[in-house]
Amino acid sequence: MGKLRPRLVTPLLATVMVLGLSACGGGTDAGASPDAARPAEKIKLTVALFSDFHFAPLYEEFKKTHPNVEIVERRAQFNDHHTNLTTQLATGSGAADVIAVEAGYIATFTPLADKFHDLGQYGLTKRQGDYLDWKWRQGLSPDGGKLLGLGTDVGGLAMCYRTDLFEKAGLPTGRDEVSALWPTWEAYMEAGKKFTAAKVAGAKWFDGPGENFRAMVDQAPVGFYDEQNTLVAGTNPDVRKAWDLSVAMIQAGQSAELAAFSPPWNTGLTKGSFATIICPSWKTGSIKDAAPATSGKWDVAAVPGGGGGNQGGTHLMAPKQGKHPKEAAELIDLLTSKDTQLKLFTEAGALPSIPALYDDPAITSYVNPFFSDAPTGKIFTDAAKALKPQHVGPKAGDVLTAFGNGLQRIEQGKQAPQDAWQQVLKDLDRIK
Amino acid sequence: MPRTAPGPARTLTYLTLLAVAFFSALPLYYSVVVASRDNAALAEVPPPLIPGGNLFANVSRVFDTVPFALALLNSVLVAGTIAVSVMFFSTMAGFAFAKLRFRGGRFLLLLTVATMMVPAQLGIIPLYMLMVKLEWTGSMYALVVPALINAFGVFFMTQYLSRALPTELLEAGRVDGCTTWGLFWHVVLPAARPAAAVLGMLTFMSAWNDYFWPLVALTPENPTVQVALSTLAAGYVSDYALSLAGTALGTLPLVFVFALLGKQVIGGIMQGAVKG
Amino acid sequence: MATRASTAVTPSRRPQLPPPRDRARLRVLAHRLDMKASPYAYVAPYLLLFCAFGLFPLLYTAWVSLHDWTLLSDTHTFVGLGNFQALLGDEYFWNAAFNTLSIGVLSTVPQLALAIWLAHLLNRPLRAQTIFRVTLLLPNVTSVVAVVVIFSQLFGRDFGLVNWVLSWSGAQPVDWNAGTASSHVAISVMIMWRWTGYNALIFLAAMQAVPRELYEAATIDGASGFTQLRRITIPMIRPTVVFVVITSTIGAMQVLAEPLLFGVYSLTGGPDRQYQTLSLFIYENFTKLDFGYASAISWMMFLFIVVAAAVNYLLTRRARGSLT
Repeated sequence: MGKLRPRLVTPLLATVMVLGLSACGGGTDAGASPDAARPAEKIKLTVALFSDFHFAPLYEEFKKTHPNVEIVERRAQFNDHHTNLTTQLATGSGAADVIAVEAGYIATFTPLADKFHDLGQYGLTKRQGDYLDWKWRQGLSPDGGKLLGLGTDVGGLAMCYRTDLFEKAGLPTGRDEVSALWPTWEAYMEAGKKFTAAKVAGAKWFDGPGENFRAMVDQAPVGFYDEQNTLVAGTNPDVRKAWDLSVAMIQAGQSAELAAFSPPWNTGLTKGSFATIICPSWKTGSIKDAAPATSGKWDVAAVPGGGGGNQGGTHLMAPKQGKHPKEAAELIDLLTSKDTQLKLFTEAGALPSIPALYDDPAITSYVNPFFSDAPTGKIFTDAAKALKPQHVGPKAGDVLTAFGNGLQRIEQGKQAPQDAWQQVLKDLDRIK
Repeated sequence: MPRTAPGPARTLTYLTLLAVAFFSALPLYYSVVVASRDNAALAEVPPPLIPGGNLFANVSRVFDTVPFALALLNSVLVAGTIAVSVMFFSTMAGFAFAKLRFRGGRFLLLLTVATMMVPAQLGIIPLYMLMVKLEWTGSMYALVVPALINAFGVFFMTQYLSRALPTELLEAGRVDGCTTWGLFWHVVLPAARPAAAVLGMLTFMSAWNDYFWPLVALTPENPTVQVALSTLAAGYVSDYALSLAGTALGTLPLVFVFALLGKQVIGGIMQGAVKG
Repeated sequence: MATRASTAVTPSRRPQLPPPRDRARLRVLAHRLDMKASPYAYVAPYLLLFCAFGLFPLLYTAWVSLHDWTLLSDTHTFVGLGNFQALLGDEYFWNAAFNTLSIGVLSTVPQLALAIWLAHLLNRPLRAQTIFRVTLLLPNVTSVVAVVVIFSQLFGRDFGLVNWVLSWSGAQPVDWNAGTASSHVAISVMIMWRWTGYNALIFLAAMQAVPRELYEAATIDGASGFTQLRRITIPMIRPTVVFVVITSTIGAMQVLAEPLLFGVYSLTGGPDRQYQTLSLFIYENFTKLDFGYASAISWMMFLFIVVAAAVNYLLTRRARGSLT
């Protein structure tokens, strides 16, 4: 008896297993897969964002194919969001399953390949063909071996301007003529001189020098870092050129000296304190939110310096703390899908990171009523096509702060340009 | 009352207090004004002075965006528990430091004061690590337990009791055969009431307003009011009408409670309690 | 400490029905135990909690400050006092220390004078007492979001209310944010606005415990309100004055929210670091992930606070006679 049992059991077991395999048909091992063993297991996925990404309908869509998944969105203020993320990654606990990481932070997090799930393991490498190459590579680990984040949008550049103020200053107001005003940033400054000479009450040429400086640097082939992540901001001639031009604009009295997204900036936006403002596509949504009363007074022209340049844009990543990487990856797949990106452009002004969409009629024919029916779909996709990718280094945000502070010191009359530059160099030395 | 000031001085007193009251209430009032309008109201110069008609729309948007009722409940529970606990334990410790002689007492008091001097933000990472170990992240324990008693409260009650509690009263109690606990219960607690009430209010307020730690320790699914407010302020451009509607909603209940309890807490008890 | 305290809480086990003489001896014993041990029992809850949640972060930070410790990185190199050495030679650190001191003095001195005066006013029989007292607390409960919004409106350069009022006297608009002195003044006003009522309430609570008879006698002697404040009230609430001076000093040294919000999340406290306080400097290095350096700053800051609090304590004691 005692000897009989195992002999009988083994073939029986084998039969069951074979039966089980053929019954599943998909080739997965029924005994080993937790999903198959507990099909009704409830899974809660959390998604942490720093703004309303208009994802809510997509969660519903995801639940249709994943009835066992519950999705909870967490939203916090921009700074709080990224600080919290740092704390959670440092302590290894508390991070959401899916997190949004803004362009200024992405290069800080991708070197920490061991703190995030490799989305490539969950089949998302298949999405590579969809993406702008540079946006795709931003989401890879430094050695290129792991896929850590998928892009949502990119920040192709344009220049938004106030037609009413242009008219008062005797400048052309049509968007093509305005685009023709500034083929280069030097020409943009010259146009600014005309505007300033016309002395339009209470209005300057642009909001603050930091954003224009950033756009100029963004358009250069190499920015603050070279491909090896060496900080070259202090020696890169393109950066110096952008600096000198920004200083010249400040000295020509063209800056309204307003820090972007501050409450006084909000007020200035509504009151018409500045005539032009650099516009990554997502900023069209911000302007509309901040100054709804200015509807119809805006239009959108090409960015000086011949297209190109990227500001902002976001990636979605899945921290390793998350217990459901498969579902998280599938959710990221949906939240960054072609259809999603198409929809989010019209809803939130988020420019897709999928170039195939740039010729989609739904986008190319899109006009933005808030901006005097400007064909923003065409303008921003043109900008995105012209975009020369630039490598973004790990502390790009801190570098930008150093330069922005330097320009503001000149603006506020605290330092001569040369001293301000010297101090920027010193600040750069502190950035490790 | 004996200390009624003469006419002109009295008027001056009232004018001063009115001015202070005006400036104190202004931002809160202004929050209500913006909350009842839209984002554009902020940019208007001169600013609008009277509420508009959007209050209910904005308030309902608050409830749609965040679990605000839950946030209010959590905040009340957290701040209430902390306040009661701080009042009780601080009075205990304050009594010991102020009136009982014991070896190491002065050193411990000094240590207590010193712990207040430790910059708080830096503690966040190690404290968070501790909470992870205890599995309290995301729960109200993470807020309540570390705050059950604090150096501020202990020091506050020590300083108050050292002057307001006459030593003769304690000695008389001892002669009557009171144990220390008996003294605490029958003599110290009644004498401490006015200060403890104030301490309770101050503690309640700071627990209610605590921002940095709850933001790290909690999740927006189970927030306190301040965490919910951070969610409302999310976005490149803050929707001020929305977040100020949240602010007003999160503050007005507090004001209401103070006004209701005010007579009890800062009016009645203070007047009647200790007469030396 | 903790074990000693906990034995004190549990009363000694009594044998059943002891003879009367023993009972008396026991009572004496119990009394002595009560006298010796209960003080520890009373401070035990505080000490226990402090050891659990206060001491660990403190020691941990000290340990971190001795390392080249980047948040998010798993290797931490021991550098001894290297961070502190770097700190002492860091001009931004001294700049932050100066700003902290300047803003601290500008905000604390007038704040405390005002608070004690307000408390004095409220310590009289007045109509609508409760309303006045409650409104004193409003600034402290108003959320930071509202505070940012209102103060950036007040101190706005182009459309600010303060500049508008100044313009009546023909003054040029002030760029509050840009200047060192002007930004310190603006931030101090924010701090005063938030905390004066709070401190007034603390003073008021202490004043309530001053025996009324003293005032009655003084009134009969014809002493004015101000004289009563100086001669009776302040000496009688001296421990509370010491308390408020010390806690306000500590608070002022740690000020973070106001400069952070005034600069709209500028972690450098303005382009020229003109209003970066020590706390903000810590926060800046923390977001730059330099946890080691940030920890070193906070320990230096701790030392500064100890010195500042000690100096203020001695000054207060000197000015008002001895403590308690």
